[in-house]
Order: sequence, then structure tokens, then C-alpha cells
Amino acid sequence: MKIKSLSDLPRDIAPPRDLWPQIAAQIAPSADAAHPTDVTRSRVAGRSVRLRWLAAAAMVTCLAVGVWIDRSLLPLPGNVQGGTSSVATRTVTPGSPTSLDVAFVSDPRYQRQRAALLSSLQAQLSALPPGTRTKVLASLATIGKAKEDLESALGKDPGNALLQELLVNTYQDEMRVLTDVHSASNAGEGI
Amino acid sequence: MTAAQAQSGEIDWEGGLVQRARTGDARAFERIYREHSGRVYGLCLRMTRDAQIAEDCTQETFINAWKALARFETRSSLGTWLHRIAVNVSLAKRRKPSREEPLPDDEEGLSADWTLETPVEVREIEAAIDALPDGARDALVLHALYGYSHDEAAQMLGLAQGTCKAQLHRARRLLRDRLGMEVG
Repeated sequence: MKIKSLSDLPRDIAPPRDLWPQIAAQIAPSADAAHPTDVTRSRVAGRSVRLRWLAAAAMVTCLAVGVWIDRSLLPLPGNVQGGTSSVATRTVTPGSPTSLDVAFVSDPRYQRQRAALLSSLQAQLSALPPGTRTKVLASLATIGKAKEDLESALGKDPGNALLQELLVNTYQDEMRVLTDVHSASNAGEGI
Repeated sequence: MTAAQAQSGEIDWEGGLVQRARTGDARAFERIYREHSGRVYGLCLRMTRDAQIAEDCTQETFINAWKALARFETRSSLGTWLHRIAVNVSLAKRRKPSREEPLPDDEEGLSADWTLETPVEVREIEAAIDALPDGARDALVLHALYGYSHDEAAQMLGLAQGTCKAQLHRARRLLRDRLGMEVG
């Protein structure tokens, strides 16, 4: 094979044999030696790092959704009221016990309201301008992913108050998006 | 664009792997190895010109990386970081430093382009690069093959930027002589 420039030479050259087993053998003892008697400590450290990642991701999600809602949906003062106002906002107050917050998520009234909003979402989305519709769908997808991650983490650490709080915040964000879309489309003013 | 910038797209998912590896997750580190071993081995092979030594260097690179993961800043390129380690390991593994001829002072005509006058067989170019003196080959491999800037290549090799450029100038002249055509 002929080439015209030195930059066309292959940068990747596979080693003739798999070097990983020897590397793994070298790093495994060092990892054990680093924490010879306290495996729990390393697990806790790992969980702490994962928690920080999750917390950061959830915070970014909340912030992004919050900013987006404030900029795009809330210029309709007075529309978010009456029967479609956010259940999450009314039910959960800052500083309330986290266990109650989590209970709120499984509250039948909340579940019914959420199901009703979701069932009418498609029709309401079609009433929105394409750009706004894309943003709404992207926000909901981001929220959905955050919920999945948090629920997965909570499955492993059910008593973690921070995770519970983040999960409730994420549910609240979802409700804010759903109710604001509902309000905006009912108002017929667009967003 | 520097090599670090070119690789920046990999950082998002690699950052997660690095975080997991830092907590002792060897499987995450194995994924990093699988992703980067070819490029690290390629660099080591070109710098050492010996397959067995290159294997040793590759292993040592990843072992050193594992030990130093806590010091890696996830904002920078993991690939570049691994290459820095690989360069250090390769330089240290060389059995004897080769006798270098004096470097030219003149850096004129040093372009970033390493285009050949006419297409040449890969093995012929590889042989010509292999035959270069160590210093010239190191600079050429990092700059012309792996795309590092003069500054990055000089830093990796522990040289002044002017010295690195002079080595590249020399490499270009020697390649031109060996391939019998203009380079760049």
C-alpha cells in the first residue's frame, strides 16, 4: 500500500498478543495492597464518587430544565393555576422530610394527574411550534434518563437521602414541564 | 488543531471510565486499555524499534497510568496523557542512547506538512523512519505521525522547542536522502 503523507501512516498498531492479562495481574495486587483490610472503605469511596456524579447530573438537569421553563414557558403569567397547577409544587415543600417526599411520588393522586397529563401530551405537543416541541421532548428525555439513573442508584442504596431528594426534584421538574405545556397549549397562545 | 483537541470528543465517556477506574474498577480500566492499547503500542514500537521492548513499554505505560489515575485531570485528553507516559517509559527503556550528530542551527523551511513527492510503500517509509537516529525519529513520530504540536512534542520529550524543531529538520533531511525525494 502506498501513501502520500507521513500522517497517513497507521497510528494504531495492535500488539501481537493481548497484554491485558499481565497488566491485570500487575494492578490487582496493588489495588488490594492499597486497601488490604478495608474493602468497605473503597466501596464507600466509589459510591461517594458515583453519588457526586449523579448529584451533578441531576443538578444540571434541574438547572437546565428550570432555565428553559422560565425562559420558554412561564412568560404566560396567570396560566399556571387552577386544576392543572403542579401537584409537585403544591405537595412538596422545601425542607420537608425526604421520606415524605418519596411517598409523594407514589401518591395515587399524583400518579393519576401525571397519567392524565401524559395521555394528552401528544396532542398538546402538536399544537406547539416545532422548535419548542423539540425542546420539550429533549427536556423530557433528559429528565427520564435522570430518573432512570437515580432509581437505579436508589435500588442499590435505598436509604440515601440525597438520592431521594434528587429523585423527587426530578419528578417535580417533569411535572413542571407537563403542566406548563398543558397550560400553554390550553391558552392557545403558543410558547 | 492539536492532538489533544482532536481527541476531546472522547472525553465524555472516557471521563466516566476514568472515574470508575479510580475507585478500583479494573473492568473500566480494561476498557481504557482496549481503546488505547493500539495507539500506545504503535508509539512505543516506533520509538523503541523493538516489538518485545514495545510490549514491555505498553504494559508499563498502563500499569503506571493505573497508579497515577488520581493525578489525571479529566479535562485533558486521556490519549495524550497515556502518550506522555508511553514516551517517558520508552525513553527510559532504551538500552543505550545513540550517538547523535550535531543538530543544525537552521530551522528554516520547517513546515508542518510531511507530504511525499510521490506515493511510497508504507513499509518503505516505516523502514526509513526506523533508520533515523533516535532523537530525530522521536520528534518525527510525535509530530508528523501522531499530530502533536512542536510544543507538545518538545514537552513530551523533555526538550526545548527549538531543539525539537531542529530534530524535525534533521529528520526531514534524512528522510529525503533515504527516500530519494522531497518530503514536505
